Amino acid sequence: MATRLASRMVQQGCKRFSRHSTKRQFCSTENAGGKDITSVSLAQPVSWIPTPKYATPSDIRHETEVTVLENGLRVASENKFGQFCTVGVLIDSGSRYEVAYPSGISHFLEKLAFGNTSKYKNRDLILQELEKLGGICDCQGSRDTLVYAASAETVGLDKVMDILSDVTLRPLITSEELDDARMAITFELESLNLRPDPEPLLMEMIHAAAYRDNTLGLPKICPAENVTAITRKTLYSYMQSVHTPQRMVVAGVGMDHGTLVETCNRHFVQNKSPIWSEDPAVVRSAKPVDKSVSQYTGGIVAVEKDLSNVSLGPTPMPELAHVVVGLESCSHKDPDFIAFCVLNMMMGGGGYHWMYNATAYNHAYDDTGVFCIHASAHPSKLRELVEVVVRELAYTAGMVYPDELARAKRQLQSMLMMNLESRPVVFEDIGRQVLTSGQRRQPTYYYDEISKITESDIQRVANRMLRSKPAVAAYGTLENLPKYSDIEAALSNKNGRMPKRFLLFR
Amino acid sequence: MVLSVVASRTAFISQRLTEDVFHITSNFAQVAPCTAVFINKRWQSARAATYKQTILNVPETRVTSLDNGIRVATEDSGIPTCTVGLWIDAGSRFENERNNGVAHFLEHMAFKGTKTRSQTDLELEVENMGAHLNAYTSREQTVYYAKCFQKDLPKAVDILSDIIQNSLLGEQEIERERGVILREMQEVETNLQEVVFDHLHATAYQGTALGRTILGPTQNIQSINRNDLLEYIGTHYKGPRIVLAAAGGVNHDELVQLAGKHFGGMSAGYEGEIPVLPTCRFTGSEIRVRDDSMPLAHVAIAVEGCGWQDPDNIALMVANTLIGSWDRSYGGGANHASPLAAAAAEAGLCHSFQSFNTCYTDTGLWGLYFVSDKMSIEDMLHNVQGEWMRLCSSVTEFEVRRAKNLLKTNMLLQLDGSTPIAEDIGRQMLCYGRRIPLPELEARIEAVDAKVVREVCTKYIYDKCPAVAAVGPTEQLPDYNRVRSSMYWLRL
Repeated sequence: MATRLASRMVQQGCKRFSRHSTKRQFCSTENAGGKDITSVSLAQPVSWIPTPKYATPSDIRHETEVTVLENGLRVASENKFGQFCTVGVLIDSGSRYEVAYPSGISHFLEKLAFGNTSKYKNRDLILQELEKLGGICDCQGSRDTLVYAASAETVGLDKVMDILSDVTLRPLITSEELDDARMAITFELESLNLRPDPEPLLMEMIHAAAYRDNTLGLPKICPAENVTAITRKTLYSYMQSVHTPQRMVVAGVGMDHGTLVETCNRHFVQNKSPIWSEDPAVVRSAKPVDKSVSQYTGGIVAVEKDLSNVSLGPTPMPELAHVVVGLESCSHKDPDFIAFCVLNMMMGGGGYHWMYNATAYNHAYDDTGVFCIHASAHPSKLRELVEVVVRELAYTAGMVYPDELARAKRQLQSMLMMNLESRPVVFEDIGRQVLTSGQRRQPTYYYDEISKITESDIQRVANRMLRSKPAVAAYGTLENLPKYSDIEAALSNKNGRMPKRFLLFR
Repeated sequence: MVLSVVASRTAFISQRLTEDVFHITSNFAQVAPCTAVFINKRWQSARAATYKQTILNVPETRVTSLDNGIRVATEDSGIPTCTVGLWIDAGSRFENERNNGVAHFLEHMAFKGTKTRSQTDLELEVENMGAHLNAYTSREQTVYYAKCFQKDLPKAVDILSDIIQNSLLGEQEIERERGVILREMQEVETNLQEVVFDHLHATAYQGTALGRTILGPTQNIQSINRNDLLEYIGTHYKGPRIVLAAAGGVNHDELVQLAGKHFGGMSAGYEGEIPVLPTCRFTGSEIRVRDDSMPLAHVAIAVEGCGWQDPDNIALMVANTLIGSWDRSYGGGANHASPLAAAAAEAGLCHSFQSFNTCYTDTGLWGLYFVSDKMSIEDMLHNVQGEWMRLCSSVTEFEVRRAKNLLKTNMLLQLDGSTPIAEDIGRQMLCYGRRIPLPELEARIEAVDAKVVREVCTKYIYDKCPAVAAVGPTEQLPDYNRVRSSMYWLRL
């Protein structure tokens, strides 16, 4: 009991000794020269390691610098103190450009990323190189951007850039890798249908409804029938036309801009050419990049599925029907973009006790955007659920309460600043902004813009989106789903009420 | 564009986190790229006699103790936002059979109004300054923290001090909260990983406080009353057991002053008996919840690890990183640093696995959790235990070096943003009574070589009785004596 008490006291800060330290201290003093650090209690400072010199917060602000290389590749970076950096390649590539190809290419590229390249014979070698630099890597794709990124010690920048350029320009895509990717995608599709949270599927469906058969409406998740249809040739052909230097940005946080430009020049311009440009046999005849502007169509995508037993275990989960109602908002380049973000914040999340959840989202892209509310409830409540969602959307054009607006603006500002605490977020912010506009606006710009939003801005953007046709996605047992035309009618009505129907049997 | 990152309002979600099960585990393929801490590595060898002074590009962690024992610890990075919170050395481990669940119940009640703020006032005040207020309870710690703009720090400290010292604990609110907690319990029960870990604790620490759940049994949630809550606060929310930690844009001296003003009145000592941390005995044993209607089996197996402060913890973390984690949708085929991942990918042994090292004050659980088809449980377990035996007997320098690199990387990359840093400060202050300087942590990891891993693993794993918990179609899971007999090899 005494020893327990002792260790208790250490925790309470009363005395600094513990069972372990008293015992071990003995051997470490005895051993003062040779000292075995592996037997010193973690509660006890290791005396022979000198106190490090710490940094003090600096008020120097760094601007983002942008340089365009001779082949059109843009390099953007912001310096920061420290021995670590985050750097990556962002490509204007994704499912929205896949119209001339079998859908699912971007999904494959994501899975194949950081695989065999002409220089690095396998994924493990790349990881080993990065591990030596305390680094990690990752590839993530969205509908319009593919990001290959790595974080590592800045001293290893050259090596990291060598890896990144090889990965983006010279992937081998061996048949084994392709088989592994097919397998991984098949497993992913399987678990998407198995797991209780249908969020990724709803995202696909609402985009398909909002942009029917074009650009952003094309599937991001590889359709099952395409898993075997996509070949090495398909992938190379796609990359040849879409992955061109003009459509790429190398973004970095935590290094000198000049050094980054110099290494990029070496690895992306001088020393390396894309693997698909060397051998014409690996690609099909070139197709131009799909430059079409997204067409917002509105419409409905409803998938009937029995979700009465989605629980993977013995505890039942509530049976839910899911619905998303969207309207066209705007591109993130549009002057109304900030107002839409504030509106999104004002709506936030919430709902009634019988609703499982309800959350507002604003998905913004280069040339368009969709503002939507996701909600779910028991299938028997589906009609009421849609009524509530539609009414909430219709009400956005009504009265705006000044205190609610002020709160939403404040929350948006804090969300912005808090997200930017994290280094990869800064990296992504720089990369995406430069990719779409060639420059990066500092967070303070957005901070100030948010404070300028007024009640009339909110009403203006609300009216703007209410003029568009609704996009609807529904998933689950859908017998109580209202008709699309009723939803459309309700949204063009100020009070958002759906046409009443007389039902004898309800 | 950061603004297109959508956030739903989460200001008042009082979450329950189980123990830091996967606090430090490696994630070989799917770690998001992120970097936060910068250190200059100048170690020739960890056992070398001289250490050069390192230049760190992180701010110093400053610690000040108030008269009543509250410790204030900060790391000021000068950014416009910050995280400030209370890390309290109290959790479900300090409960008994009768009041199990009270720590968690109390955390829920903190947001339900104080003597000067109604629940709505509190919510509006927090939301109006664009702040977030959060709390969680684990088996050994209770945490309340706020995230806010730098200039709102005084208000945030005021609110934190108010909710833990002047919570109303109204009878009506208590009644209402029972329903909320019971619903939370249902939600937890749909998360099979949590279910398995609760079973694992129940069997490994049977008959002791660590074996109980954080939420407590249904009948306790229905019967816990105002007095139980008051008694728990009176016994455990004491100055010396509280750390006020902050990171981001925080001025240490300002926070110390605020702490004196708002927490200076908290008591330090005990009038009656001083509560003693109950011993939690580990028992090698098993729980199987066989349910053939479930599609997959969820299995956890663990040996007794060590407590937070034990120096062996570092080697166990290295071993844990070496085993790693894997999911079949990662891709990459058999190309994995972790031999277990390679085997799992090649032979389709499981859907996913995750190695874990959960620490408590004086004990811990070191093991592996996996999800597999009912027909591959035995093969998977065979491979897991084979790997464990290899750790004890013949793990190579090459693997250990990679695992050490990964462990350091994961630890450093985790410290990204004010909240993870404040978490790290708060947890370390409670667990170690100090924040371990990064060069020291690095030197400690560096000093672990294959020999140390073999020795430490032999001490904790080899020929030890494991605790096993399994849920689902578990028929193929070998019986306990067979599992136990694979914890040693006749020929090493």
